[in-house]
Amino acid sequence: MLSVQNLHKSYQVGKTTYEVLKGVSLQVGEGEFVAVMGPSGSGKTTLLNCISCYIPADNGSITLGGEEIARLDEDELARVRNRKLGFVFQDFLLLDGLTVRDNILLPRIIAGQSDAAMEADADSLCDVFGITAIRDKYPAEISGGEKQRTAVARALINRPLLILADEPTGNLDSKSSRAVIDSFAQARHALGATIFMVTHDSFAASFCDRVIILRDGVVWRTLSKGEQERSAFQDTLLDAIREMGKE
Amino acid sequence: MRTFSEVYTALRRKNRGQYGLLAGCCFFSVLLITSYACMMRSPTILTVLPEGGDSRKQVMMVFVLAVIGCAVFTTYAAGLFFRQKSRETGVFLALGASRHQLRNELVRELAVLSLSACAAGAILGAPLAWGIWQCFRLLLVDSEEMPLAFDPQAYLLALLFSAYVVIMLFLLAARFIRRTNIIDIVQESHKSEPIHAVPRWYGPVGIVLALCGALLGYLTPSFFVRVLHWYAPGWVDAVFYLPTLLGLYMVLLHSVVNGWRRHKNRYKTIISDAMMKFQGRQTVRNMLVMALLIGGAYFASFYAPMLGSSMAHSYDTRPIDFAYHWRADQDIPERDEVQRLADEAAVEITAWAQQPAAVLGVDGTYSIETETGFGTTYTTAYAALLNGATFFSESAYNALTGQNINILPGTCANVLDDEGGSSYLSGGDVTHLTNMTTGKTLDVTPAEPLCYSLLLGCYVLDDADYAIIAAGLDHIYREEYVFFNVADAENSYAFAKALFYEIVDRSGPEVEVGDYYDDVSAAIAAQKGEPYDFAPENAAALGLDTIDYADRDSSAFRLYWKYMPQFRVLDKNDFITTMAVFLMLFVFIALVCFAAVIVIAFTRCMTIALTSARVYDDLRHLGAPNAYLFCAVRGQVSRVFVVPALTGTGLIWAFYMIMLYFNGIPYGFTGSELQGLATCAAVVTAISALLYLVYRLTRRSVCHALHIHT
Repeated sequence: MLSVQNLHKSYQVGKTTYEVLKGVSLQVGEGEFVAVMGPSGSGKTTLLNCISCYIPADNGSITLGGEEIARLDEDELARVRNRKLGFVFQDFLLLDGLTVRDNILLPRIIAGQSDAAMEADADSLCDVFGITAIRDKYPAEISGGEKQRTAVARALINRPLLILADEPTGNLDSKSSRAVIDSFAQARHALGATIFMVTHDSFAASFCDRVIILRDGVVWRTLSKGEQERSAFQDTLLDAIREMGKE
Repeated sequence: MRTFSEVYTALRRKNRGQYGLLAGCCFFSVLLITSYACMMRSPTILTVLPEGGDSRKQVMMVFVLAVIGCAVFTTYAAGLFFRQKSRETGVFLALGASRHQLRNELVRELAVLSLSACAAGAILGAPLAWGIWQCFRLLLVDSEEMPLAFDPQAYLLALLFSAYVVIMLFLLAARFIRRTNIIDIVQESHKSEPIHAVPRWYGPVGIVLALCGALLGYLTPSFFVRVLHWYAPGWVDAVFYLPTLLGLYMVLLHSVVNGWRRHKNRYKTIISDAMMKFQGRQTVRNMLVMALLIGGAYFASFYAPMLGSSMAHSYDTRPIDFAYHWRADQDIPERDEVQRLADEAAVEITAWAQQPAAVLGVDGTYSIETETGFGTTYTTAYAALLNGATFFSESAYNALTGQNINILPGTCANVLDDEGGSSYLSGGDVTHLTNMTTGKTLDVTPAEPLCYSLLLGCYVLDDADYAIIAAGLDHIYREEYVFFNVADAENSYAFAKALFYEIVDRSGPEVEVGDYYDDVSAAIAAQKGEPYDFAPENAAALGLDTIDYADRDSSAFRLYWKYMPQFRVLDKNDFITTMAVFLMLFVFIALVCFAAVIVIAFTRCMTIALTSARVYDDLRHLGAPNAYLFCAVRGQVSRVFVVPALTGTGLIWAFYMIMLYFNGIPYGFTGSELQGLATCAAVVTAISALLYLVYRLTRRSVCHALHIHT
């Protein structure tokens, strides 16, 4: 589904160059729920921004569904973002002037595929994520967890190949975090979505099939959940993080 | 909602505040510029403002300031609009909208917004100018010259400014759409505009630079003309004012970032200081525009008090109630007829003096100008017979003025004003006199100048010398001067007006000329077979006011008729109506500039409030009481108002002092100038009180927006 090979990215601040990604390679299979963890400055968000082509990578390749997206031109990139990728941001990025339902419909409207079916799709997503009661409200009128579930529904409306989530629980309390993670799990099971999530939160990561831990711009370790219970996997993650801290 | 356009429409409806602000700023700017342009290009105004004169230049200068101010203001509003719009644009891009889609929507809505706002501003500009002018006529003063006419050409200026607004918006939109980093675009609206550390020396050095720029800008053109014999192009003169702009910017930077007061406890104002600093760049630019507009507004505001004080001073210090003169070939009322008119008006004439004067040819230097690609240079040449001047014998002068001077034979004294100044108007020393009828000449040496404002620019000769040189003069080179007083000058207006009309009615077409006309120069031109530029038929082509007896109450006639009587009661009572157009024009300009200042300050304060709303919420969560939040708001809002008001006022005050000090030789302040400055100080006080009121209202609005109790 997603293949990242030898990805490099650096930033120039004044005369100093900071190399943030130093040759990251990873794979995400279809229907997988993968998290990326790591300390601040390890390159998690930069990796996500490169994969979504929000920022250009210096080197390396990013292949999505067999298509090399790092070399696409502006219009093709827009098409990929709209049809093949779904985004969930830490601060939701819902448009305040649109209702929950209209926000969910936005990717479809942008694609110019507005038909009667799209509203039915949006309503069914509202049902899946338990936000039917608030679908006619504006973002200012709903809670953080509801906003993020709306964002997840919006990310799924075009049935993308991959959902990219950047700290989706970063701005939420534990109850709302749980609801959002549940919505990801539901998206995977009910809709077969593939999810690639950047997070600091070991609890959120413990729901994933696999966790890639970054350190100083390289993949330090990849942990698979396998047959473990969620809580055991969370302990494994915490042990790994502790171990990384000691090195 | 099915289409992208519908999404845009829904968002526009929700964010109508942003659109309203941008549309309002565009509308307001175009409205102000159009109304100013309509007024500036109005035939009503152009008729009374002499072409090339200082008044017209001042009007143009403030117009340029207003254009710069409005241009910066609209550009700022557009920048703010795009910043606020960046979040939704970033979301659209992140969700896969193409730039082409966004460009189409943005172009469509910007076209509607900018064109409708500019069109509304341009259409309403003229009615606004007309409305304000009518209010002046209704409430303040009205005269025959006041009816306002518009020149369609004024709309060209409005169109140019509107074109700037539209093009600027589209260029910013193009730049906005071209940006590629989605993360930057999304985060754009959260970005502050911080100013980095500003050294404390910026403040004092800024003040010095601003003052030096004002001094340099004012004095350099005189230096070019007097020393280098060069009339530099306007932009060269303007360049020397640039240090003022730089100085002003440094002062404002220092005021926003460091502040002038060294608090013992810097934590007292830490919130307002920090918030101002982090929105500093745009705030300083806005403040600069406001300071310049306040300067321009005061410059216009000072016109009426300065002129009024100066004229009132000159009327009050005039030693004679009634003074008039005529060419000897005219049949003008003399003592008997004046007495009869006085009797009819029950006015008692208490003193009467009538003396002859002679118009003689005099020598002097003149300029030979050469147009170059870079201004105009000139050289001077001497002519034994250059132009004409009025001469009195010493006994005639003594009889008219009541002075007791003694001019030595072979000498000639020039008459300056009462304070010994205005030498640039007096004609200067002459050494060679010519009787234009007989051709007889007389060489004289300059004597100590005399002081008498009513005869400024005349010359006085020894009685014997006068008799010799004036002998045989034709009537057109002879004049009669009459000075008289009345018992109750204040109640002699009807008599003064009747006598003035009688004088005008009995003056012939040969003296229907402006004060620029000189019989001697006309004769010299005729002798050479050349046309005389200042002849009535040629004067209009030079942009000079033409004199018409039918317009005897017009400002042009009263100010520029060569034989205009000086009747204290007439001049005093008719001053406002005679100068109505001048006075009201400058009041109008001040009004427009202050309106712009108030709108800019209000908009800026509300913007600061909105962008700081989160900080105030956080402070509230940290337990800040209402009083603390109010102090923080006051710290921000007061700075937006007070700093530009102080700098703008201080700057224009300094500039005015420089102008008055160096205006006229010898340098210094005359009594009337000091009186005028005192009136201007009263104007500053009144307007400052008004600005304070607006500041209070703005502060209340900001507090209301932030849910802070006042």
